[in-house]
Amino acid sequence: MSMTNILQLLVSGFAMGAIYTLTAKGLFITHLATGKLNFGQGDFLMVGAFLMMGLLLSGLSPLLAVVAVLAAMALLGYLLERVAVRPLERSGDQTGGYAWVLTTAAIALILQNVVELIWGKSAQYSPPLFSSKRDSVIEVFGIGIFAEEAAIIALALVIVVAFYFFLFKTRWGKAVYAVAFNREAAALFGINVRGTIVLVFVVSALLAGVSGTLVGPLVSVNPYMGLVFTIKALAVASIGGFDNPLGILAGGLLFGIAEAFSNYWDSSFGDLYPLLAVLVLLAVKPAGLFGARAADVR
Amino acid sequence: MRRLAKYLMLAAVIAVLPKLAPNAYYIHVGQVFAYTAIAVIGLNILLGLSGQMSMGQSGFYALGAYGSAILATTYQWPLFPAMLAGLAIAALSGVLVGLIALRTRGLYLAMATLAFGFVVEILAQRWVSLTGGTMGLMSVPQIDYGSFKMGPTYFFWTAAGLLLLVQIGSDYVFGSALGRRLRAIKESEAFAATTGLNVPMWRIVVFAASAMLAGLSGILFAHMDGYISSDAFNIRLTISLLIATVIGGLGFSYGPLLGTAILLGVAEILASLPDVGQIIYGGILLFVLLLFPEGAIGLVRRILRSKPATKKSAVPKALYVSPEKPPPATLSIEGLTKTYAGVTALKDVSLSIKPGTVHALIGPNGAGKSTFINVVAGLYRADAGRIVLDGKDITTTAAHSRARMGIVRTFQNLQLIDGVDVLSNVMLGLSPRQGPLRDFGEWLAGTKHEAAERARAHSLLDSLGLAHLADRHPRNLSYGHRKLVELARAMAQAPAVLLLDEPVAGLTPEEAREIADVVGLLRGSGVAVLLVEHNMDFVMNISDTVTVLDFGHLIAAGEPSAVQGNPLVRQVYLGTGELAS
Repeated sequence: MSMTNILQLLVSGFAMGAIYTLTAKGLFITHLATGKLNFGQGDFLMVGAFLMMGLLLSGLSPLLAVVAVLAAMALLGYLLERVAVRPLERSGDQTGGYAWVLTTAAIALILQNVVELIWGKSAQYSPPLFSSKRDSVIEVFGIGIFAEEAAIIALALVIVVAFYFFLFKTRWGKAVYAVAFNREAAALFGINVRGTIVLVFVVSALLAGVSGTLVGPLVSVNPYMGLVFTIKALAVASIGGFDNPLGILAGGLLFGIAEAFSNYWDSSFGDLYPLLAVLVLLAVKPAGLFGARAADVR
Repeated sequence: MRRLAKYLMLAAVIAVLPKLAPNAYYIHVGQVFAYTAIAVIGLNILLGLSGQMSMGQSGFYALGAYGSAILATTYQWPLFPAMLAGLAIAALSGVLVGLIALRTRGLYLAMATLAFGFVVEILAQRWVSLTGGTMGLMSVPQIDYGSFKMGPTYFFWTAAGLLLLVQIGSDYVFGSALGRRLRAIKESEAFAATTGLNVPMWRIVVFAASAMLAGLSGILFAHMDGYISSDAFNIRLTISLLIATVIGGLGFSYGPLLGTAILLGVAEILASLPDVGQIIYGGILLFVLLLFPEGAIGLVRRILRSKPATKKSAVPKALYVSPEKPPPATLSIEGLTKTYAGVTALKDVSLSIKPGTVHALIGPNGAGKSTFINVVAGLYRADAGRIVLDGKDITTTAAHSRARMGIVRTFQNLQLIDGVDVLSNVMLGLSPRQGPLRDFGEWLAGTKHEAAERARAHSLLDSLGLAHLADRHPRNLSYGHRKLVELARAMAQAPAVLLLDEPVAGLTPEEAREIADVVGLLRGSGVAVLLVEHNMDFVMNISDTVTVLDFGHLIAAGEPSAVQGNPLVRQVYLGTGELAS
């Protein structure tokens, strides 16, 4: 393994890790505010990837296509909350409080089917976003890396920063934390609890959509690609600890890089080792590498 | 012997069913129904009864199937040892994945099982040298007892016979103390630990049992047609099993049979609509979970219930002998300290409660009283200090073990189990009177099952004037009645030390007097009572000793009258004015 090799793997791992981080942040924010999350997050990513591909192939300019995809994803996030999450508060939950796992997974099944009806079952390739060809290479410090990957890393960093700004510096971010802490108290302080919950599901869907837009050109897309992304985003969120927004960034990059090296080392089962490692980690350290167990003060 | 007769009749039905089948196709449907229902029953107990979500049942199903098929085919093992080995593999993997369930629950468990099922699916696809991948394993031995012609019938008898045994097991779980306890764990782990249940142990056992049933289902599948391929073991299988569980009716013992039948019917219809299969499956899940969360069985029961009222269960007269009533014991707390993230809730608090006395712990809000009870009961761990019960240091003993030693508590914010009726809530406090085999025997025979426990719980309710509410569910009771039910549950546990957290808050004066009488009786019978309460009349009337806490510090202790006169207490707790009365 040469130095160039290592650096190229690092870049690829970083790019995929950035995608996982963005997807996992969507899981994080809905879990923070509501204790629930979308078990079809990867399928939302898949829908984003297909929409972007479809719009680009129909000749729309990339900028307009991105705007259209984001609008569609926001709508999807809103519908998810309205159809699969909110009604559960009224119906009696016989599962001990985890019916949302099944209702959000049900939405994912429906989305897979719809996408299959429109675009077919087979794997397809999305046109590149930032370069003329899928495999355009740019030279950085003497090593050739894929232009798409470099652009994804840069863009993902911007979105991560924007996410943190939203969470820590805006009224909405404070509202999310207030709703997470105590819904009734938040309502008494004049926070629109309903609106905040809808907002986090919309943000979550947007993050999945952005990830899908970015990942489309890197991998082949098919209607059933979502499950893997759901699993990996959940894995990343649990490495970082579901209650630690910075831990998820570290967890995502760690996971992406580990996966890149693991795939290089063993091409047939390489993608499984990071997942197995996460399962072991969960048994040993349930709160993740960076999550702290908060004291339950009552 | 009603129950036994019912099962014998079902066995007879299974025996004659293949003779009635018009052609081989119906036998095939019967085979698929039998082995699928076994996995669904496991999932129903896991999800509907214990409230643990698994998104990875296909993984256990696949491990059972491949374990048995590979041993019987590649390694030429005889069929039945191979099947047993497959079952062991599924159970073992259930324990390993269940280790995650032991530490976490809910979301993390759903996630871990989803990842587990995915890993198994990928291994089945790619580890071609072992599993044959998508090409599959050929000429797997079939369960046909050597007869090609009668093979399918023999398979059906085997699978349906196993299904009947599993269904009997499920009925027993639902109809006995096991089901009651699982419901308690599902609704409130704190409550379950308080009644002496080792919650993590129960969770992992249920998880492994459910994995084993999924494995058994997979084993039968593997030895049905003599061929398996990795295409059979994906997330869609898990989803199908979940759909059958949910649509049949979560938390009802017969839900899985109905659910499996509906699932197979839907699959039959969908065979002609392959393009929209997932839309329909997803739609069914949403429809049932959002509109009929109790599933088909729940719907049937709702219709039946609108008919004339169900007959009341007769009050059995039988003597309940508590297996071992804990002897009177003194509880000593020495130098207890507890901090939460920098906030000191308790600082160096010592006190001692003697048998046959009532010791009140009072103080303003935030003084650390509830923390004190939680630390003594074992729900929180002390940072420093010792808790000693009759000379035995129990500072690090788990909550459920303390409960078994006779330290019993009630909760300030009531903890009752809504999934079962009032009588069963009280019965949760009773410890098993006899061995599991004898209990199973009595259950199978029908009439006398748990009669003594019922009678005991009934007499406890009666002594609190609640006998008429025995059949109701806690959520339909008034606040005062629920408090009394909780007290009855605590009494059922035959406490040596009783920790009462605000027993009369929110009660009417009459109800408070009733509680005072009960506490007096308990004191008379040698119980050591620790009382946390704001109602000063109540405290001063029934306490032998009063300890006052303020911001986690012990500021006074002694007889009620002495504490009432203590100027420091007046200042920090009662203000400078007169004692509120």
